[in-house]
Amino acid sequence: MPPPFPHPLLRRDDEFAPGSESWPEGMSRRRFLELMAASLALAGLGACNRPPDGTIVPYVVPPDREMLEDALYYATAMPWDGYARGVLARSHSGRPTKLEGNAVHPDSLGATDALTQAAVLALYDPDRSRAPRRGGQVASWARFEDEWLGVHRDLLSRHGRGLALLTEPTTSPTELRCIHALLDRLPAARWFQHTALARFDRDGRQDDYDFGRADVVLAVEADFLFDHPSSLRYARAFASRRRVEGGRVNANRLYVIEASPSVTGSMADHRLAASPAHARRLLAALGDLLDGNKPSPALAHEERRVLAALARDLQGKAPNVVCVAGESCDDAVRDWCAARNARLGAACVTHHALPAIRSDADPRSAGDLGAAVQAMQAGGIDTLVVVGANPAYTAPADLEFARAMARVARRIHLGSHVDETAALCPWHLPEAHFLEAWSDLRAYDGTASIVQPLIAPLYGSRTAAEFIGFLAAPAGRNGYDLVRETWQHHGGADFEAAWVRWLNTGVVDGTTASRSKPTAPAKAPDLRAGASSSGVMLTIRPDPTVRDGRWANNAWLQELPKQNSQLVWDNAVFVSPTLAATLQIENGDVVQLSVAANGRSPISGRTEPARSAGSTNPNEGPTVEGPAWIALGQADDCVTVSLGYGRTAAGRVGNAVGFDAYPLRQSASPWAREGVTVRKLGRRHALVSTQTHFAMEGRDIVRVALASDPAGTAGRPPETPPSLYPPVEYPEYRWGMLIDLGACIGCKACVAACQAENNIPVVGKEQVGLGREMHWIRVDRYHSTKPGEPPVLHQPVPCMQCENAPCELVCPVAATVHSSEGLNDMVYNRCVGTRYCSNNCPYKVRRFNFLDFRAPADSPVNLQKNPEVTVRARGVMEKCTYCVQRINAGRITAEKANRRIRDGDVRTACQQACPTEAIVFGDLNDPAARVVARKAEPTHYALLEELNTRPRTTYLARTTNPALAGANRGDAA
Amino acid sequence: MAEPGQDKPSPQNLPPLLFQPRATSLLRGLLAAGALSVAGAGAVALAYYHSSYWNGLGLRREQPVLFSHRHHAGELGIDCRYCHATVETSAFAGLPSTNTCLTCHSQIFTTTSMLRPVVDSAVRDQPLVWRRVNALPDHVYFNHSIHVAKGVGCTTCHGDVGAMPLTAKGETLTMRWCLDCHRNPAPRLRPPNEIFAATWRPPADQAARGAALARQLNVHTSQLTSCSTCHH
Repeated sequence: MPPPFPHPLLRRDDEFAPGSESWPEGMSRRRFLELMAASLALAGLGACNRPPDGTIVPYVVPPDREMLEDALYYATAMPWDGYARGVLARSHSGRPTKLEGNAVHPDSLGATDALTQAAVLALYDPDRSRAPRRGGQVASWARFEDEWLGVHRDLLSRHGRGLALLTEPTTSPTELRCIHALLDRLPAARWFQHTALARFDRDGRQDDYDFGRADVVLAVEADFLFDHPSSLRYARAFASRRRVEGGRVNANRLYVIEASPSVTGSMADHRLAASPAHARRLLAALGDLLDGNKPSPALAHEERRVLAALARDLQGKAPNVVCVAGESCDDAVRDWCAARNARLGAACVTHHALPAIRSDADPRSAGDLGAAVQAMQAGGIDTLVVVGANPAYTAPADLEFARAMARVARRIHLGSHVDETAALCPWHLPEAHFLEAWSDLRAYDGTASIVQPLIAPLYGSRTAAEFIGFLAAPAGRNGYDLVRETWQHHGGADFEAAWVRWLNTGVVDGTTASRSKPTAPAKAPDLRAGASSSGVMLTIRPDPTVRDGRWANNAWLQELPKQNSQLVWDNAVFVSPTLAATLQIENGDVVQLSVAANGRSPISGRTEPARSAGSTNPNEGPTVEGPAWIALGQADDCVTVSLGYGRTAAGRVGNAVGFDAYPLRQSASPWAREGVTVRKLGRRHALVSTQTHFAMEGRDIVRVALASDPAGTAGRPPETPPSLYPPVEYPEYRWGMLIDLGACIGCKACVAACQAENNIPVVGKEQVGLGREMHWIRVDRYHSTKPGEPPVLHQPVPCMQCENAPCELVCPVAATVHSSEGLNDMVYNRCVGTRYCSNNCPYKVRRFNFLDFRAPADSPVNLQKNPEVTVRARGVMEKCTYCVQRINAGRITAEKANRRIRDGDVRTACQQACPTEAIVFGDLNDPAARVVARKAEPTHYALLEELNTRPRTTYLARTTNPALAGANRGDAA
Repeated sequence: MAEPGQDKPSPQNLPPLLFQPRATSLLRGLLAAGALSVAGAGAVALAYYHSSYWNGLGLRREQPVLFSHRHHAGELGIDCRYCHATVETSAFAGLPSTNTCLTCHSQIFTTTSMLRPVVDSAVRDQPLVWRRVNALPDHVYFNHSIHVAKGVGCTTCHGDVGAMPLTAKGETLTMRWCLDCHRNPAPRLRPPNEIFAATWRPPADQAARGAALARQLNVHTSQLTSCSTCHH
């Protein structure tokens, strides 16, 4: 018997769109038959088109490698919060079309995340700034250069006094060199740095963790699997301890204490939902347990049980244990974790050698945005140059950045978009995308990469280094020369050979920072002091897809279901079911969040002055209004909002989407506030999520296996039930896929990768609300209610490529048919759009082009399209094909060499992107193929196997390693 | 109630005939003619659809340069790959860049009016814009390199190019025509050293030779007729 559902949230009644079950009004049966008859009669005419006409335009002088291959890959690096993510960028006839991970790069290891996949779309963003602007009017670089010459002369005469440079923190040695050159040339100039996102160092100290070694991990507000420069490396290491191999798994155990559901939290074996203040109480109690003291009894029973198990584990498994405090934690908590790590042996923690890789603590920097505002208010700045940053949108509201900026006479902005800051600057200049730039970046461990362009700047834009270099010495060095100059003396005797090698591999050898043992405070700070809060807290997080708002104009990311909620095209105020019940809030109810004017920040205890920004009533504190989303796993004493929405100058995609949470931010305590009042306003806002039913209804859709006995707990392996159809032979290849739910962390890199590879359109919030999203692979999420199972289960679902495919039987025009290798081929040019196949698909993986979702013919977005995949028109069904274009390309390569396709030659886009290698694809006829070995594991099962569809895509059960039976409910707090 | 006298029909009280007896035959005839004309129209449409006219067979399009394959490939015997350089490595066989033309034509016929557009292209750095002669619909993914590697020669699909003074389409390039070969490639396969031969004709024992070549070159037909082989 399925257990009763404790939360009505798990199932909802809006599975079918309103009106979808009733016959359309005004349509008689006779009229319907007339139309159907006419469609049938006219259907054949669609084929009557003449063979196409066209032109061929060859080169006058061919480039070096005159399209000898259909696709070329170049190694480069993408900035992720300033750090490098090594990528291999694919180029078709000179157009970058997709980014793949670079296996040699330490922070990629061949994988990518969703942001990296979407970064190529940003290059072709139609709203990118296309020209320098002076006072809003299109101007030219020449005019800016002329003007700057005069300014520069003036600045030189006063050694740069009055000049302020505001950049984002960077790891680029060349950009830093240009900044330092500017400061050398104009010694009185001041350089400030601002980012709305986290710093990944503390006082120049940068922790690195070895999750492959750690047996026990405690994460406190740390989303290290997802929101970290090294998250891909961490996820790979973490998953290596979750993979059942040979029927066994040497599993680690993850304890998570966090306020709001995160990717890392969803992988926890034991998760305690707690506001930051309550988390301090929990840690204090844990400290007591570790020190052998009696903990305070003020905790819930469940919390005491989990903490006791955690203390036992930490002591029992030391030194292979690690406590990770997230970047948003206050200093005391981070010190506490560092001290505990040190005392437990800290075998899994290292520090990277000083100085820190990113420039946050660069000694020549004059400080952060607060310092910049102070300097501007003091009147000492007459020239402000903003490079890349968007402080007019991302500044904490208490700084009143815009007002301070208005005091500066000369304001210049370099950015990719005419954004909120550009609107305040008389001069705006377009910044180059990394795929059109020469630059360099460092990974989290210091490894440098050369960023090389794949295409000339589309809009005459320049890189930050070129721009700052010009500001320092108006001579106009280009990025290529600047980068080569930086590395001139690194390559040894033969610089040119080294340079080519670096460009080829994507990493500069010998640049990885040396590691050292961590230095930690000798004594863990007492956390009881700051843990006295009562009432509701607020935590602020970067949005999982648009981060601080810099990706807001990226439609792929807007439509990517959020990793923590499956919401699209919105941010929301996350409230727990209990709090929602108390306040009588339902999903989509607009609530007002206000912070008391005298509200203390939980860290500094500093009293905050009343402010007007974003506030309706200046006597109260800041106020923000947004729709509520009831989230399982959210702490009861905490609401959470994400940044990056409510933008006014992001572009046509990102403007006026969601609500702006920055007004709640305070520079002293950017990530958490105390004393928050949540008030229901009575208005509603339609939140759209791609999944509305989170219960498995007692079926084993996601199976869970205990790490202690995977074979015994995973349920029965797939069987082949009898069939009336004759068996089909697949003599050549038999493609199959395996998805390891033990390794899958639900990061949705696969979804974004599929979108980039297969030219999948974006349909917009309204269409997603009608259930018309187009993603060929989705990551379902279930909340298990069974005791002993993790509360959040992820399940990527692409087309199962059934051997007995229900879709194929019902197609009246044979537009979906079986290939000789067992794929369910989808023939777009045959499809007439009956949608019978979709109705007959038990996995609901087929997608229909209800409207013409193609970009206009003159849109730059079309340049991103993969030429190997048809761009589908309106009225056509589509679905995952196992990236058949890649199979065909692999086949052609192999056949030309007169050999078979080898295991690993063909990798699907989702498989290639997956940070944890959870997706394995290959030929089931090849006994040596990895997919065959993985499918032999005892935790192997097929989804909805009882339907006898015989899917080629099958799963390995989720592995979980709880210390206590029945104690790992995520919403225990 | 009807009147008793009208119970029995008699020639006197019958209404006059609306249709003469021959109308039945006429109707039958008309029905047959209608059916025939529908079938006929269908047959004509089908024939037209497969006609060389509709498929542009032999159609010469106006080109920027009066280029003769007969002269270059046929008479001079220049290898196809000299100009179509990527045919063995890439999906697209490649069209010669202006520079390729100028390897010879910077020396010969440099001042002729026929060569004028090529010289202009080089001088002005403006590419030549050729009109397509052989084109497939956008939903077809065709790869030259694999066909060439598997024993399909140039003239099999492009016709007797070496005899064409102006280039014209040599085959219909319809799906039916593609499938004819994908179902049974053996009659058209040639040995690797004959791929680029301008005047290859199947030998008398092609049936045996083709089958041997198919085995030697690993040509498997099972997969060649899957939809996704050409449509993805």
